[in-house]
Amino acid sequence: MVAKTLILIEHDRREVKRPSLHAVTAARQMGDDFALLVLGHGMERIAQSLVSLGAAAVLVADDPVLADPLADRYAAAVAKAFQKIGATTLLATSSTFSKDILPRAAALLDAPMLTDVLKITKSNGASTYRRPINAGSMLATVELTGELRVLTIRASAFEAPPSDVAACPIEQLEIGSLPDGARFISREERTSDRPDLTEARVVIGGGRPLKDKETFDRLVGGLADALGGAIGATRAAVDTGLAPNDYQIGQTGKVIAPDLYIALGISGAIQHLAGIKDSRIIVAINKDPDAPIFHMATYGLVGDLHQIVPQLIELLSQG
Amino acid sequence: MDFSWSEQQRELLDAVSRFGREQLNYDVIENDRNAVFNHEAWKKCGEFGIQGLLVPPEYGGLGQDPLTTVAALERLGYACKDNGLLFSINAHMWTAVIPLVFNGTETQKRKYLPGLCNGSLIGGNAMSEPNSGSDAFALATTATRQGDKYLLNGSKIFCTNGPIADLLVVFANVDKSRGQDGITAFVVEKGTPGFDPSHKIEKMGVRTSPMAEVFFENCEVPAENLLGKEGGGAFLFTRSMTWERGCILASAVGSMQRLLEKCIRYANERKQGGHSIGKYQLVATKLVDMKLRVESARHMLYHYGWLAGHRKAVYLEAAMTKLYLADAWVKCAEDAIQIHGGYGYMTEYEVERELRDAIGAKLYSGTSEIQRNIIASLIGL
Amino acid sequence: MKILVTFKSVPDPYESAAPGGSPATAKSVINPFDEIAIEEALRIRERGEATEIVGLTIGPAAVEEQVRAAIAMGLDRAIRIDDSRALDPYAIARILRAVVAKEAPEVVLMGKQAVDDDSNQVGQMLAGLLGWPQATFISKIEFLQNQTRARCTRETDAGLEIIEIPFPAIVTTDLRLNEPRYVSLPGLMKARKKPIEVQSCDDLGLKVEPRTKVVATERPPKRSAGVRVETVEELVAKLKEEARVI
Repeated sequence: MVAKTLILIEHDRREVKRPSLHAVTAARQMGDDFALLVLGHGMERIAQSLVSLGAAAVLVADDPVLADPLADRYAAAVAKAFQKIGATTLLATSSTFSKDILPRAAALLDAPMLTDVLKITKSNGASTYRRPINAGSMLATVELTGELRVLTIRASAFEAPPSDVAACPIEQLEIGSLPDGARFISREERTSDRPDLTEARVVIGGGRPLKDKETFDRLVGGLADALGGAIGATRAAVDTGLAPNDYQIGQTGKVIAPDLYIALGISGAIQHLAGIKDSRIIVAINKDPDAPIFHMATYGLVGDLHQIVPQLIELLSQG
Repeated sequence: MDFSWSEQQRELLDAVSRFGREQLNYDVIENDRNAVFNHEAWKKCGEFGIQGLLVPPEYGGLGQDPLTTVAALERLGYACKDNGLLFSINAHMWTAVIPLVFNGTETQKRKYLPGLCNGSLIGGNAMSEPNSGSDAFALATTATRQGDKYLLNGSKIFCTNGPIADLLVVFANVDKSRGQDGITAFVVEKGTPGFDPSHKIEKMGVRTSPMAEVFFENCEVPAENLLGKEGGGAFLFTRSMTWERGCILASAVGSMQRLLEKCIRYANERKQGGHSIGKYQLVATKLVDMKLRVESARHMLYHYGWLAGHRKAVYLEAAMTKLYLADAWVKCAEDAIQIHGGYGYMTEYEVERELRDAIGAKLYSGTSEIQRNIIASLIGL
Repeated sequence: MKILVTFKSVPDPYESAAPGGSPATAKSVINPFDEIAIEEALRIRERGEATEIVGLTIGPAAVEEQVRAAIAMGLDRAIRIDDSRALDPYAIARILRAVVAKEAPEVVLMGKQAVDDDSNQVGQMLAGLLGWPQATFISKIEFLQNQTRARCTRETDAGLEIIEIPFPAIVTTDLRLNEPRYVSLPGLMKARKKPIEVQSCDDLGLKVEPRTKVVATERPPKRSAGVRVETVEELVAKLKEEARVI
């Protein structure tokens, strides 16, 4: 088959990561036909879950050598798939996975790349792309030259696609030989009952004033559980060991756009705000009335979070 | 008149700002409460190059000119909230380092200056006595020559860095019948028998800078520790005091700038009666006056710095700088509390501490009254 | 073992116009992530696992202030590729490839992204062009087997991953890898005496054009401040009734 756009789908070896599907919406907006690419080992169920998204095909490269995502072989496989279908656009949702692989693939394809695209506009056959720069304090409108392009899109800027189209074929991809210098040793991932930080409707963020891990888990976790939400943290909180790195929200961490973001003891450094400013409602609880976060909070409460949060948890648990 | 910094000066000043901001601002509230000296921060400042800014490179310093030095201290004062640390650094620079630079023998310079520059040695001086403060030269402490040493007897008060100093420049009289012409300076090292700097003095402000009452009881100082010559102490003191007056409040200009910015932010964010308090004229006026004060203080400081590098006699400018900057700092700090209202009175907002720190400025290095006397006599009255 | 550390001069992310003052003069600094890379290279040398740390940047003469700061941290030497154009990550990667061919380092270290452009592409693109293994967003690196490979811990969205890569390789650094040493004034004075090698794309026999053009920049719509609430009860009431978000 041929398709103009190839979308690399991310999964956690068990199922597809839902934000990864938002790239489909971007592809649909661009108007051209697209194919989805799944790399890994034991991919049948995952591939099957992708057939109703309106793709021309779901391409699967299923091989033990792809069991863990290593950029050298994944980028090579992506480049092969791309060239096989005669694509001109390579697309994925921004994540550490796609950021590791896609630029390498771009180099293999001799294509320029844009990270974190928020909006794609077409006029007179030419596309312009909007993306954040300077920790999101500015938006750049960008044009690309050349036949090929590689893009990652920000999940919060595109909606989840409907899965309602007639099923498309699944095609197995012959990958041939791939680079194998790098070796995957192990991973450390926690499983949690709480929703995924990048998908949750409600997120509670904790800052350094939470003092220690126990307090962080009790207050931030407690409030998250009272609202059925996810937990996030500022860089400062992660640096001081209050939370693990994958909780980090901000310019160099995760960018989220929940319905409700409650910031506990977070002053609002621009690098953190970069990660939360598209939230629908922002609540800030901080004892410093000067804190910059109050500039953009929908609701601000000045006070000691160690007293306020337990009260809040109690009140929410009642009603 | 070219008011711009050279590329080299800019690089240096930016490096100071960044260093101060990133390395020196921790545990300040607690250290102030407990009057704890941040030795680690002191050492970092030494390694960074602060203490040796003015010292010639051959003795371990950076050989910077006075203007660059005061500008660097201003940046440090802006970046670093620990006024006590800066006060200790200043005492060290003007009362120990400068006298050694100008009056030390080659041996003394090579022995002490490298350590005084790199943070490994802490210096200070012991001049004021329980009965002689403003009347500086009415010293009761005596130094009696005995063979190849001097015996010091007496007591000193308000000795900054006393409890932690590796050496103090001590002023004593070798011959009371000569009055101030008998005053002589000595380098007294820590651990010298008969030298007791352990009696700490608790203070209102700059509490992270240790201060002591110092006692000399037949303290034996080797003759090679004579600094300058017998009877040369008053001149040595006046010369280093002139440096001190001009430079010691350079960091205060930085503190004032920081206060000004903090107050403006607060005035814009604090809303009462439906709009920000900065829109009320009584608040705005305080801030406008504060701005004027900070700018004139800065200009006075830079002018002094430039003059100190270009001509020898800056007594008038040094006294004016000391007087004006001290008054300005206290007034800024006072207004800052007022603008912050109740929050300004609270320890954790770090506004009240600035006032406690600033008030000392009207007392040390010559009280504001003394500065006025000096200026009066220098303008021909 | 030679390590090539690449760094970018960026507008100081910390500095913004302070209130009540004259407009802030635009100040540049070494990209914070690249500073972390420089620091790591220095630590590797201090452990005796590298013998030469060479710094590299691309930019006009004005960035030499950052080159001096990098030398002051402890680089053995530094190269500036003179180019004042607005280059994109792919153009930069291609220039770096030419320098790597000349310098032949065993490891290329750089920050994962520049805080002005936020692209996070150059390291990976360079690795693709060279066909070298890559380890991105590392929070820990250990050299193994006589400095012929490295075990790297990477920070990912899900947590941490540990991989091993043989040399020569490209490594990009994340925030928690280390805390960079500060430049001391004596270091700055000494750095002034070390020469900076300046080369151009012509010297490298390169003709590289960017394929990205920024046609406009604008501020995002400002999110206006909302209201202050006084009590927890008031907050919950507003969230339920006004915002209807819980």
